[in-house]
Amino acid sequence: MTESEVRAALRGWVRDRSPDAVTEVTDDTPLISSRIITSLQVTDLLLLIEELRNAPIDPAALRPGVFRDIDTIYATFFAGDA
Amino acid sequence: MTALSGPLLTLVDDLDRRFTALADRWRPTHVRFEPTVSAAFLDRMDYFRSFPHLFTAAVSLADDDATLESFVAGEPVVDGVLRLGALAPVTRVLSPAACYPLYDHRAGARISGREHHTMAATCFRREAEYVDWERQASFTMREVVCIGSAQDVADFLAEARMAVDELTAALRIPVEWQLASDPFFRPSRNPQYLMQQIDPTKHEVVYDGRLAIASANLHHDHFGRIFDIATTSSDSSETPAHTACLAFGVERWVAAIVQQHGPDPGGWPVVAP
Repeated sequence: MTESEVRAALRGWVRDRSPDAVTEVTDDTPLISSRIITSLQVTDLLLLIEELRNAPIDPAALRPGVFRDIDTIYATFFAGDA
Repeated sequence: MTALSGPLLTLVDDLDRRFTALADRWRPTHVRFEPTVSAAFLDRMDYFRSFPHLFTAAVSLADDDATLESFVAGEPVVDGVLRLGALAPVTRVLSPAACYPLYDHRAGARISGREHHTMAATCFRREAEYVDWERQASFTMREVVCIGSAQDVADFLAEARMAVDELTAALRIPVEWQLASDPFFRPSRNPQYLMQQIDPTKHEVVYDGRLAIASANLHHDHFGRIFDIATTSSDSSETPAHTACLAFGVERWVAAIVQQHGPDPGGWPVVAP
């Protein structure tokens, strides 16, 4: 998948789960502080990322802030950092 | 644990009075709950799947003649183990945390502004091993809870950390704040644990690099959503309330004071408020 395809897939996933108050989803929309991602969604997001990168994620390797926004998710899981 | 008396008992009582005095800066509602919580309530917060290894249920024999006759006809206790027969439906659990019943108590509440509550409770957790004062099957927890907006609880936690820093300095207990996570069962499969990894919400006050004597915990709107607690704004719109708590493990403060200042009460700092 290209970078733009991955980012589009992530934005689509986030948009589908955004509260009404969040009208526009960008790659720097805060996902945690806006409560778009809670414990109810975190497993689904992990599965989506694993599917998009076609590789598993070790939950023990998750670090604070890695789901801050789509930019951070891409940098962490798709740009060779993890 | 041996019976508490004399200076140690005074220290335990003084510590709780000191924590209560600390809590009073927020003008909290003082509240006390019974020592058990309903299983149905704990299930709503998914407690049993998260901490199946920790809870202790309040059990009774089934209330039928056959069960009771069989029980009294045999040896009730063999090698220290109570030989129970059929059980009555188990609906209550010994409270695992002082603040949990509050969220049930405030279920459905509509809040304008920020509210605070404080409560103490004997709490129960089954552990792999026990150490007097440091890790007990039952222990005393004093908590202060803030309910309000996201900003309200963030402000509360900042204030709470400053208050704890002032207290540990006054009692001359050297501590450091550390990130922590709750002891989830099979954590790598638990969404709440995964969430704590990516968004740390628990900070512990650690003495001697190993003993957590207090913690500051952010719950976001987790309890607000589960128990329908909401904040209202001037235009009457409602938002799930955010909550946070500051918790003190009373016996662990005793352990820290005795270890830091020695067993002679004459060397202890003044703890009473």
